Amino acid sequence: MGAAPAISPPLLVAAGVEKTFDRTRALAGAGLTLRPGEVHGLLGANGAGKSTLSKVLAGHVLPDRGEIRLAERPFRAASPREAMEAGVGIVMQETSLAPDLTVVENIFLPELGRPGLLSRGRLRRRARDLLARLGHDHALPLDAEARDLSAAQRQLVEIAKALALDTPVLIFDEPTASLSPSEVESLFAVMDRLRRDGHALVFVSHRLEEVFAITDRVTIMREGRTVADAIETASLSQADLVRHMVGQELGFIYARSGDGAPGPRGDVVLAVEGLRAPPAVVDVSFRVHRGEILGLGGLVGAGRSETAEALFGLRPRTAGRITLNGRAIAPRKPAEAVALGLGFVAEDRRRQSLVPDLSVRENLLLAHLGAHRGFGTGYRAREAAVDRLVARLGLPADRMAQGSILAFSGGMQQKVVIARWLLLEPAVLILDEPTKGVDIATRASIYAILREIAAEGVGVVLISSDFEELLGLSDRIVVLSDGRSIADLPSARLDEAKLTLLAAPRTSMARSAALLEGLAGAHRASAFWALIDGDGLICLGSAAAAGAPDPGLRPGEAFRAEETRIPTALAARRDGFVDEPDGGCATLLTPVRSAHGHDLGWIGLTLDPAAPRPDAAGVRAAIKAAMSPAGTGSDALGSSPS
Amino acid sequence: MSGNPTTLPAAGPLAGPGKGAARSPVARRLLRRLEVRMLALALVIAVVLSLLSPYFLTRTNLFNILDQSVVVGIVAVGMTFVILTGGIDLSVGSVAGLCGIVLGLALQHVPIPVGIALAAGAGGLIGLVSGLLIAYFGLAAFVVTLGMMAIARSLAYIASGQTAISNIPAGLSDIVYTSILGVPGNVVFLLALYALAFAYLTYAKGGRVIYAVGSNVEAARAAGLPVLAYSVLPYVVSGALSAVAVTFSVAQLLSADPLMGNMLELDAIAAVVIGGASLYGGRGTILGTLIGVLIMVMIRNGLNLLGVSPFWQGSAIGTIIILALLVERLVSARAAR
Repeated sequence: MGAAPAISPPLLVAAGVEKTFDRTRALAGAGLTLRPGEVHGLLGANGAGKSTLSKVLAGHVLPDRGEIRLAERPFRAASPREAMEAGVGIVMQETSLAPDLTVVENIFLPELGRPGLLSRGRLRRRARDLLARLGHDHALPLDAEARDLSAAQRQLVEIAKALALDTPVLIFDEPTASLSPSEVESLFAVMDRLRRDGHALVFVSHRLEEVFAITDRVTIMREGRTVADAIETASLSQADLVRHMVGQELGFIYARSGDGAPGPRGDVVLAVEGLRAPPAVVDVSFRVHRGEILGLGGLVGAGRSETAEALFGLRPRTAGRITLNGRAIAPRKPAEAVALGLGFVAEDRRRQSLVPDLSVRENLLLAHLGAHRGFGTGYRAREAAVDRLVARLGLPADRMAQGSILAFSGGMQQKVVIARWLLLEPAVLILDEPTKGVDIATRASIYAILREIAAEGVGVVLISSDFEELLGLSDRIVVLSDGRSIADLPSARLDEAKLTLLAAPRTSMARSAALLEGLAGAHRASAFWALIDGDGLICLGSAAAAGAPDPGLRPGEAFRAEETRIPTALAARRDGFVDEPDGGCATLLTPVRSAHGHDLGWIGLTLDPAAPRPDAAGVRAAIKAAMSPAGTGSDALGSSPS
Repeated sequence: MSGNPTTLPAAGPLAGPGKGAARSPVARRLLRRLEVRMLALALVIAVVLSLLSPYFLTRTNLFNILDQSVVVGIVAVGMTFVILTGGIDLSVGSVAGLCGIVLGLALQHVPIPVGIALAAGAGGLIGLVSGLLIAYFGLAAFVVTLGMMAIARSLAYIASGQTAISNIPAGLSDIVYTSILGVPGNVVFLLALYALAFAYLTYAKGGRVIYAVGSNVEAARAAGLPVLAYSVLPYVVSGALSAVAVTFSVAQLLSADPLMGNMLELDAIAAVVIGGASLYGGRGTILGTLIGVLIMVMIRNGLNLLGVSPFWQGSAIGTIIILALLVERLVSARAAR
């Protein structure tokens, strides 16, 4: 860990901050104390108020109450500009780029508001500088318009934009959500440099391993309150963190009913093959069985939401075959998809689901209204079914007829939207980030509902960026990356770290793909990259020279050791080549780690046993050198034990 | 009622423990309804005018007011449909003018009911074209109907040969002067139309879809509602009702003039907005529109009774509209607290 100077006075102190939106209490006594020269983790479950507190500090949101002092002077920023001028910058979670402006213009957007002349050449030089610090001077064309960038690229521009301000306090609100592991490494290197220069950095994240890797101290929030104030990271265990974040009662949140094993799988209810809906969806295939929850995993921008929208007729498809209960379907608009038996809970509730001028009850009846044939509304015939759903989902019956749905909490709104689809008894229900902005208690009940309806025979497709939720809820996970489905695995074989690696964008896999190709070619062998865990493995990539022996692995799939042709080598994991007893092949396994100490799995090289053996130590050294990112300054952190 | 489209989100009856619960809950609940506040405003205007002019409250004048409400009232129904979807129809006045000429020309050759049907069909067709351009091709409603406004007026002049058509069969005036239970036919039609429109917007699938489309078109589409059909329908209704409205004018004057319906769109839009509809769509009621129409007509009628010069009337009406909306905004902001 970086040395946090304990004696320096705090740079920023916030205490008793309160904020209420409509009727939702986002902050109820939040506080934060920042010292110069530290990276301060701000943690909490979804909806704990991390983002709201960040936005208060950055001038995006005015607090109702509370005291904030910056460098010992009262601080009250009524706008992002005021906050920037006072010395607080932010990297927003949802990117706030101007889509029509170029990368350079976006990076220096805050400066465009200043009077005086701009020197285009100087801005370009500075932009190139900043991006080079992030290790991305080549990957990001300066003159590209922001609308053409990928999610990860947009996030990088957002980071560069904040760095350009060079403010003493810099807030990173979930900056790594759409970044691949190597990009995270570069970002951490930059953060480390800023820390050494005396900046105070706030790092908002729910990826605990990242929190342990980069922060000096952490503040933990729960339900709008600060529950643990500025605790040294080194003094905490992962279990401590989780306990603070969720309170005690949530150990059972993902608990499966019954014995914990997924129930027997039914027939395939929805099959998708080669779905293509450019630009976001390139080639996606998956199958959903009756009664199972299928998770669609991946990073932000991997094409998960777009896949769901393409299935539901909200986005034109250019190729692909969709089969529902054995019948080929091709819905061109949602009304057709609904008639066929699909339901879709979209990601952006306010924009895609809620109708604010209709009553809550009518919002619940909205999909019914679309499906209803007749001149009237047909509401009366549905009365009993609606009342049953209201009771089943625990919605307040007395608030259904009157009042605006916007006055409901996010969780209640989501329940209404889910009920909207359940009323139609769909064959398949697709849910995109169903617990975004939903409080913890309601999340647990939404999980229970999803399990119930799956058990009743509905095929449930769950999209979630919260890997913990995805793993806890899904029976199987299909991983999407850059618009392609690249893996289909039982969730019991996965954990968050493996899922993160699988989900990395193709561009950041280029290095390993090139390495595998190179190894296979140079040694006339098969090369593969796998995560090995106990007696099983997940293959991430492979390459083979002509005539080389086949280790029996396919990328994106999980294997037990005995299912492969190299069980002995997998069991031994020795330093040198291991011969299989049947004499089929010899395999060298090399563990690889990122410069930061992240476990990146193993690179395997499988040779014909009769072929000349290269020097094992030499091959291993070459592999390790090739897999370590060349990010600047990563050595400083890479050496730190954590 | 199955829906309550006028409930303002911030002013729902379930606003929780409010701060100033001084007034009785019933009064507060009533005041939160915009129609109630506007009805109160209409009554205030009526009282003021009856104090200023002894003729205002006479039976003849009250029937005058209803009679003067018919044309703008009919057009305002279509305009309410359009505005509820978040659109606007600037072409209603010109379409009325063109359809009046269509009616006048048709009546030279065909029986009265067929002539009226042809005129209404022409209005509906123009609305269909506008609606498709707006909802299917995604053009701005303001621009499309502005263009249609120019086209319809120009066609009205061309079709009429720039002069009024005055040899209208006298039988047409029966639709105005045949009274039912002592109420003139045109007023009966107006009230029936409002009852029908109210029922449609409240109890019919189409009416609820119109509200949903205006409130959040993306959510409506994603929920599988037939968004396109019910985005186009209001323009068809608006066009057809413009034709119906001008039919009553032609029936009264027994003459069709290409200038008919000039500036009618402004009165109709003003009435709908005074009635509480939001120009962003999704919010407004047919009852509110009726009150808005009455307010507009009463003011005009009162200014006439008081002998205010027609040149000053525009200023007076404009000022009163803006003041009414300003007061309404202040009141509703307070009621929301």
